[in-house]
Amino acid sequence: MRNVSSESSASSAVERDIQMTSGVLSLHVRKRFDATKTSFELDVAANVSSGVTIIFGPSGAGKTTLLECIAGLLRPGSGQIAIADRILFDSSRKVFVEPRQRRIGYVFQDLALFPHLTVEKNISYGIRSLTPENREQKIANIMDSFRISNLRGRKPGEISGGERQRVALARSLVTDPCVLLLDEPLAALDATTKAKLIDDLRCWNEAHGIPILYVTHSREEVFALGDRVLMLDAGKIIAEGTPDAVMRR
Amino acid sequence: MDWQSLWLTIRLAALVAAILFLIALPIAYWITYSRWRWKFLAEAVVALPIVLPPTVLGFYLLVALGPRSPLGHLWQALTGHSLVFTFQGLVVGSIIYSLPFAVQPFAASFAAVDSRLIAASATLGASKFRTFMEIVMPLSVSGMVAGVVLSFAHTLGEFGVVLMIGGNIPGVTRTVSIDIYDQVQALNYSSASITAIVLLAISFGLLAFVYALNRKVLAVWLWK
Repeated sequence: MRNVSSESSASSAVERDIQMTSGVLSLHVRKRFDATKTSFELDVAANVSSGVTIIFGPSGAGKTTLLECIAGLLRPGSGQIAIADRILFDSSRKVFVEPRQRRIGYVFQDLALFPHLTVEKNISYGIRSLTPENREQKIANIMDSFRISNLRGRKPGEISGGERQRVALARSLVTDPCVLLLDEPLAALDATTKAKLIDDLRCWNEAHGIPILYVTHSREEVFALGDRVLMLDAGKIIAEGTPDAVMRR
Repeated sequence: MDWQSLWLTIRLAALVAAILFLIALPIAYWITYSRWRWKFLAEAVVALPIVLPPTVLGFYLLVALGPRSPLGHLWQALTGHSLVFTFQGLVVGSIIYSLPFAVQPFAASFAAVDSRLIAASATLGASKFRTFMEIVMPLSVSGMVAGVVLSFAHTLGEFGVVLMIGGNIPGVTRTVSIDIYDQVQALNYSSASITAIVLLAISFGLLAFVYALNRKVLAVWLWK
């Protein structure tokens, strides 16, 4: 497979691509999935436009595997993944863009905040290439948007679960991703904190309008956040449409 | 008490620990993250000094570093003297002898770093090198300190390898353990006892430090 990560002239080209390709995420992914309790073939084809697309389904349906394929953390067996005209993976043309060059934001289920870095350093981690002034400005803006400016010097272990969730979202969004992947980011939160974060996310996406893929088990989150739902079972899409249409099935 | 031997041993152990830190880092990284199917062979080679009798290892090193070997010949051509029975020869032999004592704690601590953090770093645009320097290494501090301390302590007490490739030249290759052996051979038990107690105290102190690290007593302090 051609590995695009080592192309040295990449950074300016990638920046240019990012400007050009904020748009529809189109994917057709096939990946054999083997776990201790279940094994199946993930086979998903979809076009994800701006707005929040919920991936809904039972445990073991392949939701996280799908997100990991899109982010480049897993290599699909075959298929294609593209954001507008920028190809991230194409098995027939042997293209695989490394995760670090995809500019896809990913909020993990367990958040994966760097425990030894302060909140500020966690957030600035993905924008190290900016000038200090730009970086400082972006950090201040995103911290202000997510109401975490007061946590700047604290470490993830010293803040609450809801605050950690906001830091993880801010860390992903500050990089101006082309696509945002959220893997059950609100699962461990109480209803009030969850509602606030859903509002934050909605506000942010009204301003930026990128495709967001949001994995959840919660029907409440489907209706609160979703513009569209993909219902996944045993690696296949079994229903798609608006939350009302899909969840009524 | 032969202070010359003690000073030589401490110099040797410190130099070996410092060089091993640099050599063991890439080896441990490769062992932790490589998916090469024959990797277990390389792991077994690295671990060999743990189970091999020091005299066997010393014998092979003597042959490999001797003036008739390509390495020994090259060294002689470059420096004008042989590598065996010199302090430099001791350093080379000790590096190989103590290699697993640095590589294994390093690799264990790298493997303990949550793979989600490494994935998060990649999705945030960081290269593998930056991820290693800024995420993996800082989160592996206690394992890396343990590796350096263990390789220092292991070199401090080596005997068979030193005797085979270094001999017993005062001020050049006579280490503390060989000095103790000499004292016992000369029936000078009181002198041997003092040197042995010093070595015992240093070794115990270093091991206590490693165990304290593993219990996170010092890890918390180091992070602050």
